[in-house]
Amino acid sequence: MGWEEMQVRGYSEFVRTAQSYHGRPIFALFCGDKDAEGRSWCPDCVTAEPVVRKELHNLPDESVFIYCLVGDRAYWKDPNNEFRRNLKLTGVPTLLKYGTPQKLVEEECFKAELVRMLFTED
Amino acid sequence: SVKAHKEEDNPQKTMEVNGLTPVPDSYDYDLIVIGGGSGGLAAAKEAAKYEKKVMVLDFVTPTPQGSSWGLGGTCVNVGCIPKKLMHQAALLGQALQDSRKFGWQFTEEVKHNWMTMTESVQNYIGSLNWGYRVALRDTKVTYENAYGEFVGPHTIKATNKKGIEKLYTAERFIIATGERPRYLGIPGDKEYCISSDDLFSLPYCPGKTLVVGASYVALECAGFLAGLGLDVTVMVRSILLRGFDQDMANKIGEYMKEHGVNFIREFVPIKVEQVEEGTPGILKVTAKSTTGDQIIEGEYNTVLLAIGRDPCTRKIGLDKVGVNINEKTGKIPVNDEEQTNVPHIFAIGDILQGKLELTPVAIQAGRLLVRRLYAGATAKCDYVNVPTTVFTPLEYGACGYSEETAVEKFGEENIEVYHSHFWPLEWTVPSRDNNKCYAKIICNIQDNERVIGFHVLGPNAGEVTQGFAAAIKCGLTKEQLDSTIGIHPVCAEV
Repeated sequence: MGWEEMQVRGYSEFVRTAQSYHGRPIFALFCGDKDAEGRSWCPDCVTAEPVVRKELHNLPDESVFIYCLVGDRAYWKDPNNEFRRNLKLTGVPTLLKYGTPQKLVEEECFKAELVRMLFTED
Repeated sequence: SVKAHKEEDNPQKTMEVNGLTPVPDSYDYDLIVIGGGSGGLAAAKEAAKYEKKVMVLDFVTPTPQGSSWGLGGTCVNVGCIPKKLMHQAALLGQALQDSRKFGWQFTEEVKHNWMTMTESVQNYIGSLNWGYRVALRDTKVTYENAYGEFVGPHTIKATNKKGIEKLYTAERFIIATGERPRYLGIPGDKEYCISSDDLFSLPYCPGKTLVVGASYVALECAGFLAGLGLDVTVMVRSILLRGFDQDMANKIGEYMKEHGVNFIREFVPIKVEQVEEGTPGILKVTAKSTTGDQIIEGEYNTVLLAIGRDPCTRKIGLDKVGVNINEKTGKIPVNDEEQTNVPHIFAIGDILQGKLELTPVAIQAGRLLVRRLYAGATAKCDYVNVPTTVFTPLEYGACGYSEETAVEKFGEENIEVYHSHFWPLEWTVPSRDNNKCYAKIICNIQDNERVIGFHVLGPNAGEVTQGFAAAIKCGLTKEQLDSTIGIHPVCAEV
């Protein structure tokens, strides 16, 4: 079986989803919310998303890709939001391999080579 | 991985398109660095800045106990970083005790959880391993997790953990393979003992521990293990901290002894047997006196060997390319430009003969070497007056000559030693020792009482020493030191 994508919004939904896939490799991309036209308030997320999506075919079999909208800009700016507090996220976009220290933050997500490295190497 | 040169059409153009200057003589790389530790990574990253085509080969042969780790070398994975974090864990334990005297009230007894600490430390190390991989990929340095060895003057064979071999060629090489802990060569050592390579990721609390050795590795590990509440014994063959100022070494030992570390002096283990399996199990150690026939036995949960480190230079094909090594020690002699006897092969870091085994030294040597090779620089690494710190429970910072070496070099009548005990203000309220912290400077009378040795024993010794190292590099004299007004109330004002 290849890989599958789950789309979630908000911290609780993210955690519930990640826990339900416990045992499989989980990759997550965190982005700012999108408006009615589908554009995120986070310009770097707009740049990063297509780069990441283009590399998804490199995901290992059995893995899960969770696309997570974190919230609106005000929520994100709050230094105590749950993503910052519990997942130690420092910026959006963040692309990470759940349960490991491996992650790419902000401009690092623009680089296909790095995204590919995160998806394919140990 | 590197594609073989099939670009017959226009190899130059391919290179230029990738933003790299063409590699001469159709070598695969301008530079191959063997070893992805402090020195190797610094050199590789520096070379990438000058748009050189660089490859780093890093491979960790697992320990007898099966421990292994990621990119970054000894310092990051099984050295300075986890050591300092665990030392900090022990200091925090002490601080918790002190805090009661400062008014903090807590009724529960304070206990330490080894797994919690180790998981946090390993998680941080994992983020460093990852960070290095991102940095290398981002600067277009090719990294292979493979064991590199020379098979020809310009050719390396790289074998990955699946046993797959690839060949790579380069114009120049830097050997930065570092060292690994030495074993005793007695029955039971590899089967039952651990080393610093295993300690920082040990998946269970080591329990009652025997540390064999008197190096700074031995004393630092013994120190933090005791600080975490474990029963620790150190078995020493002769002196403590060979090569360091012995006056300071003895003070460190005394402090540790008074604070619960047991010492067995002038004995060496001759046999280690397993009494009971487990995590940890129970081991029986038999030891013989170095001064007579006396034999002693002891039982411990863990035996940690810290008797020295050996360079990883014996199995990397140096004989095939004619690089000289010191047959006895395995160290590589180099000139003052880190060049081996083979002009296109260089070496940096712990494997060098006659040089300090320190991360910042390796980094500096690596960077300056690469600048000389590719940026026309001339600066050479300055190995003199390098500051160091030993993170024993009472920390020891030093820069320059030990008292013995100064006497030997300049003559006792030509040096003047100024010293003082001091009592850190923070130690007064909790009634901690008032006569243990100590500082001394050694001055060369014939050279304006220039400060040629600086030694301090006390909290935050590393932080204190760093600034003095810069002053010594500038030629600090006793008079200048005296006329520098102190900051109050800090230890460094002494």
